[in-house]
Amino acid sequence: MAKGDDLARIVNGCKNSDAECFSQIVDIYSSRCYGYFYRLTCNTDISDELLSELFVKLVKKIGSYKGGSFDGWLFKIANNIFHDYLRAKQRRKKMMEVLMTRREDIEEVLESKRSEGEVSDRLQVKLARLDADTRELIMLRFYSQLSLKEIAHMRSEPIGTTLSKLHRGLKRLRELIGC
Amino acid sequence: MNGPEKEYLKELFERFVGTEQADEAVEDILRGEQILRDNPAPEPGKELIDSIKSQVTWSLLRRREHIRRMRYEAVAAVAAAVILLVTIWTGLFERDGGKSKRMYASMVPRAIWDSDDIASDDPHIASLTAEVEQIENELLTLQEGETGGNGERAVSELEMELAVINSDLLL
Repeated sequence: MAKGDDLARIVNGCKNSDAECFSQIVDIYSSRCYGYFYRLTCNTDISDELLSELFVKLVKKIGSYKGGSFDGWLFKIANNIFHDYLRAKQRRKKMMEVLMTRREDIEEVLESKRSEGEVSDRLQVKLARLDADTRELIMLRFYSQLSLKEIAHMRSEPIGTTLSKLHRGLKRLRELIGC
Repeated sequence: MNGPEKEYLKELFERFVGTEQADEAVEDILRGEQILRDNPAPEPGKELIDSIKSQVTWSLLRRREHIRRMRYEAVAAVAAAVILLVTIWTGLFERDGGKSKRMYASMVPRAIWDSDDIASDDPHIASLTAEVEQIENELLTLQEGETGGNGERAVSELEMELAVINSDLLL
């Protein structure tokens, strides 16, 4: 992983529209960002789309990066993209509810959607049992590797709240996994 | 998580709970994060990465093109503004300086314009006045029958006079 001066040089190259530097950024961050999207969406197809969207958005927004933690800045964009996806999903769900009058039909569709999701690994199943906000916090902390202070700032909440939620979430995950 | 980070986390917890509870909380977090490390998420495929890189390159090209177009538009706008300003400024300068290149011809000669008695100072008017007076006299003569019945000659002369006046006026 590129650190310090190397990363600063690459980011600077991106600001000068250097395609090679963007390519390096994709290599450095794609794995972590993909993991973040996958753990939150539980679907490889959606994670593919969100990851593509993230780097295309990065090209558009790189001019607005004014220094500071690049990881924090990038994961803030990733977090916004995930929330946009959730909002779009919510809209689609509402549209479906309007279109379908029978409750059984809705259940059937939702069940098929669930089965399409790749709930293959054990951790993903257990993560799904945590509440959405805690799951998002744990994933943000794990994949962005940001400090708690940065995460609290990003989530616009006191650091004590972030700390408490993270502790409760990871403790619960341990209990669910059984170790 | 490395040593300093663990210490920082412990210090943070100690702000809210006792030392013993802080140790437990840090341990919970460390073990929880270890579970995440032991169960890694899938990696993005090589095809996806290649596709993203080409999308990024394409976006960069479009961005460059957009910037270039914006520059051209800015230069064109500035050029248009300069041309407009120069046109307006040139027009104002000519009017204000009184150095217009347009020529104006006076229809009335200066001597006539300044005269107090146009009827005598303008030779054309003076001549016309004399001829009108002559015609008046001839008409009076005709009416009084002084020509002794030679009316046709008098009318011919009158017509000739009128023709002369007409040609003078046309000139």
